[in-house]
Amino acid sequence: MSVTARTLGGALIAIVGAGGASDDAAACAAAAIDGRRPQWVVRPRTLDELARVVAIAHDEGLAVVPRGAGHALALGSPPARVDVVLDLCGLDAIVEYNPDDLTVTVQAGVTAGALAAVLHDRRQTLPLDPPGWGSRTLGGIAATAAGGPLRLRYGTMRDLLLGVRFVQADGVVTWGGARVVKSVTGYDVPKLLVGALGTLGILGELTLRLHPLPEAEATCLLPLRSTEIAQDVVARLVDSPLQPSRCELLDAAALAACGLPAAAVGLVVSLGSVEGAVRAQQAMVVAEATRVRARAETMGPGFWRTYDRVLAENGPTVLRLATLATRLAATLDEVRASLGGDAGVTITGCAPLGLLRVALRQDEPAVLAKAIERLRAFVDESDGSVVVERGSTALRTSLDPWGPVPAGPLALMRALKQEFDPRGTLNPGRFVGGL
Amino acid sequence: MSLTPRFVDEMRAIVGKDAVVVSVEGRMTYECDMHTFYKGAPDVVVLPTRTEQVRAIVQACRRANTPIVPRGSGTGLIGGAMAPQGGVMVSMNRMASILEIDYGNRCATVQPGLINLWLTNAVRERGWFFAPDPSSQMVSSIGGNVSTNAGGPHCLKYGITTNHVLGLELVTGRGEVVRVGGKTLDRPGYDLTGVAVGSEGTFALVTAITVRLTHAPEAVKTVLAAFRTVIEASQVVSAAIAAGMTPAAMEMLDEAIIRAINAGTGAGYPEGAGAVLLIELDGPRAEVEVQGERAAAICREHGALSVSVARDEAERALLWKGRKEAAGAVGRLTASYLLQDAVVPRSKLPHIMREIVAIGERYGLLIANVFHAGDGNLHPMICYDDTRPDELEKAKEANEELLRACIALGGSVTGEHGMGMDKAKNLPLQYADADLNFMFRIRGVFDPARLMNPGKLLPTHPACGEGFRPQRPRLPEGTWV
Repeated sequence: MSVTARTLGGALIAIVGAGGASDDAAACAAAAIDGRRPQWVVRPRTLDELARVVAIAHDEGLAVVPRGAGHALALGSPPARVDVVLDLCGLDAIVEYNPDDLTVTVQAGVTAGALAAVLHDRRQTLPLDPPGWGSRTLGGIAATAAGGPLRLRYGTMRDLLLGVRFVQADGVVTWGGARVVKSVTGYDVPKLLVGALGTLGILGELTLRLHPLPEAEATCLLPLRSTEIAQDVVARLVDSPLQPSRCELLDAAALAACGLPAAAVGLVVSLGSVEGAVRAQQAMVVAEATRVRARAETMGPGFWRTYDRVLAENGPTVLRLATLATRLAATLDEVRASLGGDAGVTITGCAPLGLLRVALRQDEPAVLAKAIERLRAFVDESDGSVVVERGSTALRTSLDPWGPVPAGPLALMRALKQEFDPRGTLNPGRFVGGL
Repeated sequence: MSLTPRFVDEMRAIVGKDAVVVSVEGRMTYECDMHTFYKGAPDVVVLPTRTEQVRAIVQACRRANTPIVPRGSGTGLIGGAMAPQGGVMVSMNRMASILEIDYGNRCATVQPGLINLWLTNAVRERGWFFAPDPSSQMVSSIGGNVSTNAGGPHCLKYGITTNHVLGLELVTGRGEVVRVGGKTLDRPGYDLTGVAVGSEGTFALVTAITVRLTHAPEAVKTVLAAFRTVIEASQVVSAAIAAGMTPAAMEMLDEAIIRAINAGTGAGYPEGAGAVLLIELDGPRAEVEVQGERAAAICREHGALSVSVARDEAERALLWKGRKEAAGAVGRLTASYLLQDAVVPRSKLPHIMREIVAIGERYGLLIANVFHAGDGNLHPMICYDDTRPDELEKAKEANEELLRACIALGGSVTGEHGMGMDKAKNLPLQYADADLNFMFRIRGVFDPARLMNPGKLLPTHPACGEGFRPQRPRLPEGTWV
């Protein structure tokens, strides 16, 4: 039986209270995703409320679109339907922090910044630093599998998420994984949900592995004459016992945006350890710079904050390229050739992992779509990918922002979606292959 | 179940005559893994050499509605690589090559039958290694490691198998060859690689694996400390973590194990020691030096009877000697034991060690412990006398009680061995009906006919059956139409 908005509203308010559900025109307009307005914006305060809201939406055939702090709303295809926007920022409790076990359990709406403030007192860290991380929710970082410079040393959410409580499409609250740092009990359900954009379940609570903060840290910039030299330096750093925490590549535009000295390309390497080891490793990096006739410069402790801000703010369009570390220079050349010299391109990335982030001022969909298709053809040789991480609705309508997924894996992904969300309740249409 | 001669001929046509085992004595060698309680010989064993053959095998089995059981080296500890329902066992021993080593991109692609240590041996000269190091690494296959998501002493720092797998080539239960993940990162879509690792052959047969290679550390430092009690040694684990250390490994041996080792080759552990803690640090030389000193200091502060720091590789090998012999040395304590690998939060180690002693006393059984203390991964060995009636039953009961105690502390049923037949029944200890049902349904997506390694990992349980409906949240009454 279908219901009117009034009775649906009554049910939602019965669950989350009058202040937690709104069908106010202005609120719904503000919560629109790619121009599609929801009928309701609902802000659950507990996991149980979240589950009940999803259950009702499911039974009524409504589409639920989860959101955290809203950093990644321009990721993925425009949603097929938007009926209820679920604002998860109300789930903001740190449920349990066990510093002696280096684990923490948080609700999905806790921001990485809020958690960092708590962990800092115990000199511990959750080393996830995607651009703008401080104000992003951990649920959002998990759902989008967003990573930052520190992934070089610590991996991504995939490596740090131990357990997850989530709400299935029909409202069933489900737990996967464990609360301890090592477990292989049953299937690795957390892996399936990381990066799934909430399309198999809405993340409610996360148990995470923490790391100790390094006692000392140093960061140095290597200004280099060409991307070929940069690739060579990266190869030598990788093939050494150095344990850098970060190794980011910055093109000339990125160097300028960060207020750094001009160069064709720069590598910024940070080392975290005990004082003596940091100095010894820094000396190795400096020696490597000398070998290629560059002069390493020591950066202040504030550099990574600047870098984070520059990345979080740059460009209406951001592309995420995955290629091989050994094809870095060639890929950079191709990016420039595809996008043209005057597109306002800023390129950064985790060079040793073959990952690049391309920010553009250009947002003309037809021009961009053509360039992206060309880049996709290029990285296809190494099974790489080009994903539109941020882009206008028009761009993400004119091409698939995820790019192609091979038929074999895609068939399994479709089967998973069909199994767990046959009615298309969860974030329909935004993920790969229109899932 | 028995297979028709026609089916066996079909297998021969796929893999060749010399790659099919049907004789009783031949099949018996495949009837169990290292957990010898669980026995079940397959009706036929096939040894393919190519992915295409594996696909043909799976498709033939689907047509014949026959179970398919993968097997690597058969060194699992869980009743995994055996065939309780008969059917076809696919041995990966002849798919054991290194397909590619790509130093520039820090990875290698191998076939599933390759022995774990052989990969490290192949890259060691160039300064690299494959980080997952289960104690069986000299004989266990990488395919088996992927299947169980194997760990090892050094996964404290480096992570378990899943953290090192970049991509897989699978032949799914649907009979299709699917390549998931690969050398480049962040592929769009669900992380099928992540969920397939540790699925114990219940989704698919793994026919190729792309793994991350890790650069060898600049320096390694090993510290060995002896304590009066396991409790004291356990407190050192928490203290080291509180001090911000991330050792590569932290291994503990209790009094019974020390006694057994000293009675044998004699690793020279102090007589009268109630526990030995082995701490290994690796990384940049200066870091390792400082952390090694700190580890030694923490041990002394916690009342260590003795602290030794290895000065060179020979001394390091000596300190590890006892640890490596531990499993074998248990043979001097008992002819039979039950082994499990539950996990507790590491801060709860002192608590669980007291509990283990209490359980042992209650059942009148010796429980020897050698384990990965740094991540709270226990390995209690419950010794029993198999010539005495009831003793095995008592040991099983003690084992279950211990497992429940670990879960009650917020722990996990298995840290690295996996589920197999042995622990499938324990899955409901850790997961509610809805959680079990979610897992059951994931499996159905990869293997709709449920022919892949049946009877493993998932329990016989209502929530692991078709048509089960987990409880949904309560919805508002009254206003609701």
